Amino acid sequence: MKTQMLFENGSHAWIMFGRDDEKTEKIIDTNQYMVVTSKNALLMDPGGIELFSAMLSAVIKQVPADKITHLFASHQDPDIISSLGLWDQALPNATLHSPWIWEGFIRHFGMENITYAPIPDEGRLLKIDNVNLEFIPAHYLHSSGNFNVYDGEAKILMSGDIGAALEAVDAPIYVEDFDEHIDKMKMFHQRWMPSNRAKNDWVKRVRKLDIDMMCPQHGRIFKGDNVKRFLDWFEALDVGVATNSG
Amino acid sequence: MTDPNNNYFVSVAEIAAKLDQTTLISQQLSLTASNARAVALRAGEKAAGIRPLTDFIDRLAEITILSSKKINALAVILSKTSVKKMRADNAIERFNAVYKSGKEAKYIDSIDKQHQSCKLEQEQLEATYRRQINQLSIELKVLSSELRNAIILATLSRVEASQSGAQYQDALINVADNVEGAAAKIKEHIKYSQHKVSILEECVTLE
Repeated sequence: MKTQMLFENGSHAWIMFGRDDEKTEKIIDTNQYMVVTSKNALLMDPGGIELFSAMLSAVIKQVPADKITHLFASHQDPDIISSLGLWDQALPNATLHSPWIWEGFIRHFGMENITYAPIPDEGRLLKIDNVNLEFIPAHYLHSSGNFNVYDGEAKILMSGDIGAALEAVDAPIYVEDFDEHIDKMKMFHQRWMPSNRAKNDWVKRVRKLDIDMMCPQHGRIFKGDNVKRFLDWFEALDVGVATNSG
Repeated sequence: MTDPNNNYFVSVAEIAAKLDQTTLISQQLSLTASNARAVALRAGEKAAGIRPLTDFIDRLAEITILSSKKINALAVILSKTSVKKMRADNAIERFNAVYKSGKEAKYIDSIDKQHQSCKLEQEQLEATYRRQINQLSIELKVLSSELRNAIILATLSRVEASQSGAQYQDALINVADNVEGAAAKIKEHIKYSQHKVSILEECVTLE
């Protein structure tokens, strides 16, 4: 499991965990992110059961376990949060922020200790120490209840499955050539994302944000101009293709 | 067949499912007792000896239903405990993997508290699991010994059938067959469950 510092200033840091070369071949590679503030930490989309040991090992190289007081699950998928039952043992005092519509479903992964803090459809703010984070609605992209995390100070958007690419476990961390990268993400967005209306609504909302880095849950991170390139490309893309061709 | 060493929680669920069928068969015994009573009424003096037997069949059905329900409830609780134990075992296994792969981690000590807490929970579940297996084993023995009476009742019903005359003989033989059949089926389920429980007991002892 590789660890990459994405942002650091006096108040907080963004760390990415991913490119786990010990994972089983048929399991999709995932990126996990953590925001570390002065006294707390937020672990975002902590991953599946198979990833738990590798993730906990990687995380405690950065912060003590009891500093992780917040978890975030962008949606209900197994690669996002099926490790919950194990985190529930490791971080019994933590709070899980996740879409309200998935509470009854996500609890099936096992949650006896952690507190569920439902995120309403319109999103909400989360202040950890002096750091303000915002849960940005990204419904139907691809899950019907889905959020991104935006940090206005770091200018980072954790975009979940939006911007995801299916590629090798040793792929670079950042998108280098955007045009070349399109092939790795086109099918994923067309097939997994169901709604052009939802997609364009999200693009409109996200264009208003000041973003230096867009961090998806699979594949590479978009930096600088590649963020705008992605938004332009995504806006023009026809999604929900299985329905269209059906 | 499930390997009880690795999938004990599946083995326990299989026992619970098997014993659930026992409850249903016990209810059939109760129906047999009602039928026997109806035949005895119709036959009057010709089948006078069957009347006290119907009371015994009724009592046997009642005991078997109660005992099966109790055993079934125990098996369901044991099944839940075994799943919890499996999850605790799994968490400990993952923690151990972290200690192995992350021993260089700066904050490796920060998981000690939760690791200890998980181990304590695992130990408590282990003790509960052993106690519940033992309890299930005892209850299965009790039901098994109650069922010995079923063979006696079936034999006595056959004797009464032979003395009741042609008109009621078939109906009373049918009662005897039903008692015997239900008892045999329940015994089969108990035997299966006792075998599985003994394997689980052996696994627990070996741990």
